[in-house]
Amino acid sequence: MIQIKDLHFAYPRQQALFDGLSVNLEAGSITGLLGKNGAGKTSLLKLMAGLLHPTSGSLSVHGHIPQNRDVPMLCDVFLVPEEFYFPPVSINDYCKAYAPFYPGFDQELMDKIIVEFEMKAVSNLQRLSHGQKKKFLISFALATKCKLLVLDEPTNGLDIPSKALFRKILAGLLEEDQLVIISTHQVKDVENLIDKIIVLDNGRVIFQQTIAEISQKVSFISETSANAEGAIYSEAVPGGYRLIVPQSGDETAVDIELLFNAVTNGKKIG
Amino acid sequence: MQTNHLFSFQRMLLLGKQSFIINKKLIGISLTGCTGILFLLLLFAQYKSHFIHWGNNSYMIVFTLLFFSTGIIYASFSFPAFRFKEKTMVYLMLPASSLEKFLYELIVRIVIFLLLMPVYFWLVANLEGIIVHSFVPELTNYKFSFGEAYSNMANQGRLKGWGELIFAQGILFVLIASFTGASHFSKSPLLKTMFTFSLILAGYSLFSYLLIKGFNLREYHPVHDRILFMDSENSAKASSAILSTLINLCLLTIAWFCLKEKEV
Repeated sequence: MIQIKDLHFAYPRQQALFDGLSVNLEAGSITGLLGKNGAGKTSLLKLMAGLLHPTSGSLSVHGHIPQNRDVPMLCDVFLVPEEFYFPPVSINDYCKAYAPFYPGFDQELMDKIIVEFEMKAVSNLQRLSHGQKKKFLISFALATKCKLLVLDEPTNGLDIPSKALFRKILAGLLEEDQLVIISTHQVKDVENLIDKIIVLDNGRVIFQQTIAEISQKVSFISETSANAEGAIYSEAVPGGYRLIVPQSGDETAVDIELLFNAVTNGKKIG
Repeated sequence: MQTNHLFSFQRMLLLGKQSFIINKKLIGISLTGCTGILFLLLLFAQYKSHFIHWGNNSYMIVFTLLFFSTGIIYASFSFPAFRFKEKTMVYLMLPASSLEKFLYELIVRIVIFLLLMPVYFWLVANLEGIIVHSFVPELTNYKFSFGEAYSNMANQGRLKGWGELIFAQGILFVLIASFTGASHFSKSPLLKTMFTFSLILAGYSLFSYLLIKGFNLREYHPVHDRILFMDSENSAKASSAILSTLINLCLLTIAWFCLKEKEV
């Protein structure tokens, strides 16, 4: 669905952010885009959405060049940015104003998600809290049934029950032909949700594997000592250590935070 | 090539519907407020002219002032989404083509203004005239007519031949310049547009001054009274009309590319 090849991008009067970036993403997955601050996560999402234009290289989304912002592409891509603006209208009016632009928009689904998120359709959007606005935007994004959903820090501002609901709703609604890209610092919020991890560092993809591939290669264990045999990476935690060791038996749940720290510290996984 | 992706009348209507749903309260409040202000402004102007000296020309002066001031302000609010990064993202990601978004904005900010502003003024002015006349019988010339004003201008020979096109392009220039400024500048578009055009005008004046001084053009008397291809008042008017049309088209092209190439 997304093909990025030898992508170069720089903000005006700044050094290159991406210098030969290449990534391929297929539909039917929820991909976590991880990286330190300033690694280029949001810029990459904006490039995919056509809000920024690459300096050179090729970038295609569902066969379209995002920077052209042609209508079929815009109908298939929905971006939930970290910061957003809503006009002073009710949820109902917002849907009346924006939904007709999306051919696949499902009003019933929208109503269902709104109820699940414990929101009211008559609420004025500008009077909602940041978290409620975000829940509404996520609901709207899901109801558009766009092929590509790009979520930038989707769980920022959500309360604990809403985070759990978000995971449940997203996992339950994703269709085979959809791709969800989630950029986040809150890796715990998207654990058990994402099935592929991409780690960006200094404008390069330094890690790109599915959760299944990671599970087959390494295990995430807790030990009292950091010197376990063959440990790839270890980190002190209250009561002992969390370690990444080569896979030697049962598969363990992937500890994304530990994996991220290992990868950004230059450790090779698998 | 599927032209439907480039332009769809249906999507233009959707843009209109979307804009109306979001701005209906603002439109209502603005129209009510403007009507009240216009009513009071006309009443004040009539009072200052002691009612008996009021006439169609007085209405035209108020109309001209209002037309240009509100036109410049209204056109400088074009592409309102560009004032905030978050709004710009929503606007650019909205599934409508750049052509549809551009044409919609152009129609709403310039075409509709050009068509409705005179009608709106005519309605309010005549209504105000009737109401004030019923209380102040001294106000006898309270009927406002654009036809009369146009005839006066035509009789004075101002709108002959190319003059009509220069007149139209001059009005359009004021609105299109504000429109283009709004597409280019994110913050304070009106101020920045006025500053830019002032700089261009100042630069041109300085250039002309230096040229006249340097080449002593005051003493230049061409044999056939011909400057470039202009050898009569009519050809000078024709050149001005064509030049002003080209300037307006260039400004619209700039506005189009500002929208098409916009990044967030």
